[in-house]
This record gives sequence, structure tokens and C-alpha cells, in this order.
Amino acid sequence: MSATTASPRRNNGFSLRQREEIDFYLFIGLWLIGFILFTGGPILASLLFSFTNWTGLTTQEWIGLENYRQLLFDDKLFWIATRNTFFYSFGSVILGTLGALFVAILLNQKLPGTTLMRVLYYIPSIASGVAVSILWIWLFNPQVGLVNYLLSLVGIPGPPWLASQQWALPALIIKSTWAIGANMIILLAGLQAVPASLYEAAKIDGAHPWDEFFNVTIPMISPVLFYVLVISTIASFQILTDVLVMTQGGPGTATLVYVFYIYQNAFQYLKMGYASALAWILFAIILALTLLQLWGSKKWVYYEDPGA
Amino acid sequence: MPSNQLSRRKFLQLAGGGAASVVLLAACQAPAAAPAAPAAGGGEAAAPSQTEVTLTFGHHWEAAFRPRQEEFDKKYAEAHPGVKFEYTYNTWAEHNQIVPTWAAAGTLPDIIYVHGRYAFPWNHEGIVVSTQDFIDSDPEFDVKGIWEEALRLYRYNGKQHGIPYDHGPIILGYNKDLFDAAGLEYPNENWTWDDFLEAAKALTVGENQWGYGGYYNTILDLGNETGISFVGPWGGEVYNEEETKLLIDSDASRSAMQWWADLIHVHKVAPLPAQAQAIPAGPWVAGMTGMFALASWGTPTLIEQANFAWDVAPWPKGTAGRKAGSFGSGFGITRDSKHPEAAWQYMREYLSKEGMEFMWGASGRGSPARQAAYESWLNSPGAPANARYYMDALENYAVTGHPYHTLASGEILDICNRNTQLVQSGDMTVDECIANILAEGTPVLEEAAKRLQGG
Repeated sequence: MSATTASPRRNNGFSLRQREEIDFYLFIGLWLIGFILFTGGPILASLLFSFTNWTGLTTQEWIGLENYRQLLFDDKLFWIATRNTFFYSFGSVILGTLGALFVAILLNQKLPGTTLMRVLYYIPSIASGVAVSILWIWLFNPQVGLVNYLLSLVGIPGPPWLASQQWALPALIIKSTWAIGANMIILLAGLQAVPASLYEAAKIDGAHPWDEFFNVTIPMISPVLFYVLVISTIASFQILTDVLVMTQGGPGTATLVYVFYIYQNAFQYLKMGYASALAWILFAIILALTLLQLWGSKKWVYYEDPGA
Repeated sequence: MPSNQLSRRKFLQLAGGGAASVVLLAACQAPAAAPAAPAAGGGEAAAPSQTEVTLTFGHHWEAAFRPRQEEFDKKYAEAHPGVKFEYTYNTWAEHNQIVPTWAAAGTLPDIIYVHGRYAFPWNHEGIVVSTQDFIDSDPEFDVKGIWEEALRLYRYNGKQHGIPYDHGPIILGYNKDLFDAAGLEYPNENWTWDDFLEAAKALTVGENQWGYGGYYNTILDLGNETGISFVGPWGGEVYNEEETKLLIDSDASRSAMQWWADLIHVHKVAPLPAQAQAIPAGPWVAGMTGMFALASWGTPTLIEQANFAWDVAPWPKGTAGRKAGSFGSGFGITRDSKHPEAAWQYMREYLSKEGMEFMWGASGRGSPARQAAYESWLNSPGAPANARYYMDALENYAVTGHPYHTLASGEILDICNRNTQLVQSGDMTVDECIANILAEGTPVLEEAAKRLQGG
């Protein structure tokens, strides 16, 4: 290395550390400006709007906490939407995570054709949301749909699914398993990172395959599983496309979910201030749930090197 | 500038070509026969030179209808040198959400499509500006030739804002093949709802053919055009005139709603929602129902898709006489328009008798909002044999369906819809439905009235 490159000071007297800092801020600066203008600004604005009766266009008066009071104490639909969303989230996260884990384990076997199967399972995740929703309307068709046809093969008369108050939301939960491919890939990566030596040691100790699964696999992939749970929960609370395309919140209020209710208030009723308040309540709910999951994770998530 | 208008002769030439192409248009294809080119100098006054103006539009036309629009504009540009056009085509549903976002961003096009239900809130928010001054200073624009029931949708604070292009009532559609198969006489002008029910029973066969298929599969509905159609014949109302109060708990409205619910659950002459939704095109389009409620704008769908003979008849008479709802769409000049004068010049021709004949009459697209232009639709291949009953309804018994001058129209319609859905599925009684709608809807209407008064 030449003497010049070894010199700690050059380029107008900046040290290497200072130059690196400048480079860092130059690189991150563009993103930061974009974030502040296009994401941070609207976030802050929506907080302010939530204290107004803004229509999104003209009327805008400061009404303090009135939107929050109204939605918490006067708005029956807010509570129905919240309950429906919790129900959907619970069902879709459990079903989606267990389904993704099951498929990931199957595709982690050293069998011919697994690479192709991984691709096939992942493909639905990249399909257009609206197109997939329309496809599922057909699958749930009570008379000519595939779902009820399969049920009929085992002697079960299928329900009217999307036209039924009882079955519309469970139908959306079932539909959510369509996109388990994305979580499957993440869990598969986690499974492949488990050292083979641990399984060998378990076998030497005479462990049953179930013991290996619960005492080696699950603890070792628990950080990945935790990540999948947190991300899936957040995403499930934001369900919109399926409801917009498949049910429009009905029948009745059977599939009135939270973000659909925000959408209705903001863009159909021109109650942008009220919709902003709804959005901030949703943010608080998701934040609380995520913190709860973080707190709970201390009891079951295993990190190999906690100090890292 | 009357001298700049497309001549009547030119429009008739265009309309003639358009009529020939309507069947293909209905089959979702671009018109095969282009409208005839106007005769050179044929009655066309030399257009004065103009400075260049680009008019921007927010339309909702589907791809099959766009050539018609662009053909009109091509002819308009020939008559008005210097005028150019830029279009944004939205889907109907998206358009109604996109317009407020355009307004918030200050990027509204010069002229936008305005559905009747959105006219009032958009006028209130200043998205669409008043055209009253233009109308007042333009005696050649025959505003009185437009149905009053259509104009009222676009009036705000006593001033005309948007101008309607299409307006139609709901009347009774029927499947002639099923009537013939059942050996029944077709519905006629003397029909009452008792006659309707008798026929519906005779037309219901097995589990896949019903006497009545509803309005787009909906048997009981309190929407704009449907609400008054369903309760009006029994003397009921859905709203008071000011739209500050719901009137569905009157005996007349209650018994009318029960009558429609009974079609599904007691007489079983109409499909359950699950049965109707299981048929992708809908039982009425699929030819599985003897009768259905049919608005004038629903006729292109049947022409395009129905493989059975069908026609229309007057909406039957009830105990309180004959009453049906009507509704429609229009266009408005926006507050962001950079060329409001040019926009008006365009609108006055686009929505003139000749303009409506070309765009919506002779094309078979639907019922023009001008009485004088209606004839062109009635004579087009796009209209059923007895389409004259649509005009008869507009002239004699159809009224614009509320709600159309409350700021809560979207919300109140959703409330009604959520509850009537459950009556149709059998999950709720009519009494529960009425109680729920009153409980949820009354504060919403009251709050909207307060907002309107600036409170």
C-alpha cells in the first residue's frame, strides 16, 4: 500500500472516518428525504387530521378528541370491525403459520422434485391480489365451486360460504392460506440452518423423531417462527383486498374488517378525519400486539448467542 | 358560439353509422362501421380559428365504448380547430374514489363523469362548479329539454352544477321464452302486483327457475332507484323530502318490505342470495327467472349476454297506484378546470339533443336525459321492443330516488344494504331490519343535516 493511501488525512483534510460518515449520509440522505416527505409527513398529517372533521377536501375544523370518543363509545361498527379483524387474524395467522411450517418441513426432505415443489408453493404468493380473490369467489361458489365439490366427495354438504353470515369470515381465513408460500420460504431457510450435528446427537441419545422436532427443530427455528408470527399478525390486521373484491364487508357485517371500514369512511363517506382516527387506533392495536409478542417471545424463542 | 356546433345533419350522419354498429358495440367490440364522414362543407359554417386548448376528461367508459367517445371528439375537433383532448378512463367504482383524490391534489380534469349519487357531495365540496351562469347566458342550450327528475340530481343551492346525460326508471323486464313455456300472457299495462305474484308462482319451476330475479339479484333493496320502486306502490316512502328522516317504519313501507321478503321465504318465487350468487351471470341474465326489475341502463347487458327473448312492461300498479324510482348520470366542470369556457362550449354540444342522440341514443347505450333525444334510443337496436314504457314511466310515474341531497348518502345506503341483505338470506326479520336501519341511520342523517347547515 502506498504512503498516500495510508495517510489518515487527505481530501480537504477529512479523516477516513469523516469521509465514511459523509458517504453514509449522502447515500442514506435520498432515502431519508423520501421517507420524511412521502411517509413521515403523511403519517404526521394523519395524526393531525384525526383531531379534525376533515372531509379530505374542504371542511376542516379542530374537534379535539371527538373522533376518538365517537368511535370508542358510539360506533357499533368500530367494535364489530375490530372483533371481526381479531377473529380473522387469529385464524389466518395460526392456520397460515402451521400450514407454512408443515409444507416447509415436507419440502426440507431430501427427496427428488422438492425444488420444483418449492417453486410451485411459492408462485401463489406473487400472483395479483385481485385476480386471486376473483379465483376464490369461483372456488367458493356453492353450486359449481371446487371447495364444495371436494366436500361432497366425502359426503359433506358445503355451506354457501361467501353468502353466509356464519361462513363468510371462515372462508376468508381459508383463502388466506393461499399465500403461505412466502412464509414457507422463510421457514425453509430456518430449517436448513439447523446444524445437522444436533440431529445426529439427538439420534445417538435415542430421540424419537417427535422429540427431535419439539426439542431440536422448534427451538432452533424459533427466531424465524417468531418473525413469521409477528409479520403475519401485522399483515392479517391489514386485510383489505379480499374483502373489497369478495364480500364488500357482507353479508350484513359478517366480513366488515378494520381496514375496509377505514376505506369506507375515508373514500366513500369522505370522513377523512374519522378514518385517520380509526387508522391510529389500528396502529395502537398492532403496536400493542407486537409488544405483547415481543414480551412473550422471551419465554419460547431461543437465540443461540444472546450476546450477539 | 352556435356557429361552431356540429350541424344536425352531421350528427344524423354520425348517428346513422353508429346505429349500424350498436350490436357489435354491445358485444364488447369497437364499432365495426365507423360513423359516416360529414359531407364536405355540408351546412358547416367555417369555424373561426381558436387558440389551442387541451380539454382533459375523467371518464368511466369501458374499452368498448371509448371509440364512440373519441369519434365524437374527433368530429368536435374538426368543427373547433385548436381543441385537443386528453382522457383518463377509470372504472365506474374506482372513479368515485379517484375524483376526491384528484380534488385533494388539485389535479381534477376539466370535465368529469358524475354519477347522480355523488353529485350532491361533490357539489358541496366544490369539486364540480356551477354551470348556472353559462346556462343563463346561453339560451340556445335547451336546459328545459332535460328531464326535471334528472336535473334535480345536479342542482345545489338552487344552481345547476352538473348536467345529466342519462336518466332512466326501473320497470319490469320479462323473459318471453319462460312466459311462453308456462302458457302465460306477457305482463301488460293493467298488471297489479297480485298479477305479478300469480305469474311468479306459475313461472317458478323446480329448484333452478324462479318467477322473479330481482334487480341485479337483489329482491329487497332500498337503494336510489329501487327504494321507492319497492315501497312506493304500496304508499310507502323511504325518506322524507329533506332526507333528514327515515320513513320506513310506516305501516305502508313495512308491509311493502314484507311483501318483497315473502317472495323469497313464503312464496319461494325468488332466489335466496346464496342461490343467486351461485350463478355468475345472475339468474336473470342466465334466463332462469321469468321477471326482473330492469333499468334502462341494464338493457345493453341483456342484449349482449341473454340468449332468450325478452321485453319490458310497466312497473305494476300497487294499492297506492303506480310508482317507480329513476336515476342517472351526468358530467360536470371541475373547480380545477383551466378552461371553463371551453369546457362549457364542449358540454353544451356533448349534451345537446344531437350530442345525446349520437352518444347514448343511436348507439343503444342507454336512455338519454333529454326527452327529445329519447326517441333515438327507442329506435336503436339497443332498445327492447317496448322500450317506450321507459319514457312512459319518466313522463307519468317515475320519481328520482332518494337519497340524493344528503351528505350521508353513501353511509345510509350501506346501512340499508347491510340490513336488507340479511332479510333476504333469512337471518333477520323485516321488523328487525327496520329497527336496525332506524337506529343506525337516523343519527347519520341528522349529523349530515347538521354538517350541511354548517353546524
